[in-house]
Amino acid sequence: MDTQSYMPVPPGIGMEENFFSLDDILLSHERLPCRLQTTFPRLGFLEKSSDTQDIPEGTKMEMPLWLAKGLYEQKRRVLTVELPKVYREGWRTVFGADPNVVDLHKMGPYYYGLGSQMLHFDSPENPEVAQTILQTFIGRFRRIMDSSQNAYDSDTSALVERLDCLERALFRAGQSGLNAFQRWEKGHAHLTASNLVINYRKRKLADMNS
Amino acid sequence: MDPSEVEFLAEKEMVQIIPNFSLDKVYLIGGDLGPFNPGLPVQVPVWLALNLKQRQKCRIVPPEWMDVQKLEEIREQERREETFTPIPSPYYMELTKLLLNHAADNIPKADEIRTLVKDIWDTRIAKLRLSIDSFISHQEAHAKLDNLTLMEINTTRSFLLDSLNSMYKLRSNTQPGSAAEKTMDY
Repeated sequence: MDTQSYMPVPPGIGMEENFFSLDDILLSHERLPCRLQTTFPRLGFLEKSSDTQDIPEGTKMEMPLWLAKGLYEQKRRVLTVELPKVYREGWRTVFGADPNVVDLHKMGPYYYGLGSQMLHFDSPENPEVAQTILQTFIGRFRRIMDSSQNAYDSDTSALVERLDCLERALFRAGQSGLNAFQRWEKGHAHLTASNLVINYRKRKLADMNS
Repeated sequence: MDPSEVEFLAEKEMVQIIPNFSLDKVYLIGGDLGPFNPGLPVQVPVWLALNLKQRQKCRIVPPEWMDVQKLEEIREQERREETFTPIPSPYYMELTKLLLNHAADNIPKADEIRTLVKDIWDTRIAKLRLSIDSFISHQEAHAKLDNLTLMEINTTRSFLLDSLNSMYKLRSNTQPGSAAEKTMDY
């Protein structure tokens, strides 16, 4: 049985991030291409390519998602965020044609998470981006389900190689269900005491009397 | 849930045994059992039946549906119809395994029954996968799980729930209004 002493927090996937999710923390480090709308005074040392004291308006630079989200405001135009390549028109057509051929791990690896986060930044393409992500998920679902439910006792690294992090989690869930059932069918599964009970620290009455 | 937990639940099912010992009525929290008289059939839970069987104190009468002909009918019906057909016992898989592993000598044609039940199981799981796939590809919001047994639900539960959750979240992205409302909560 797959028991852990703590419950890992799943990623938020949607526009919300889960604060305690390790996947979402890693996701927030993804770099986004941005263009500055104002001058950043005295921050020139951050931009290694120029020697000026300030970062001038209109500079193109890459920023992690967490910083871009913090700086982005609709009213005070601080910066504009451009869509990463995977979410742009060209790739959207590829996903529309056949989502199964794309190596999402190479393109992502947080394709779904980052795509949802991109909706924070105003862009006319947002509805299409959201729609493409959803359709990609649906299109790739069948293959994930079949491969995770049929690969018993074999090497799965080739199967998960091209999956996005979210899909890998799904794959693992499918595998754990299959493995548990197969183990039970072969008679290897036995009821085990829950970790919670084993680690129960409270003194028992019997121990106190002795 | 682990399959062995499902099996544990299945052990509460009643089965008929023919004891070869005599004992007065036993009063237990879960109900009264017995009295046991040699040669007279009684209904007991599977866990007790297996225990008595292992001590060679009884003979287990297989449930009515555990019969080659009936199972063949069920298998044919299962293959014919597109939806899940009603199954005679909600714990057919678990009971088959338990009884065949511990009391195969009391069940006629045990091997054939094992294969038949496995066939039925495989057909139903294939159907389940097919319906999950169409469920996802049509972006349905709810489904009826008629005639599915606990063990069948249990094998795909975590996978199905996780994927439905993800799909729901990705879909709520496409409707900006609802997502914006959520962010206002903070």
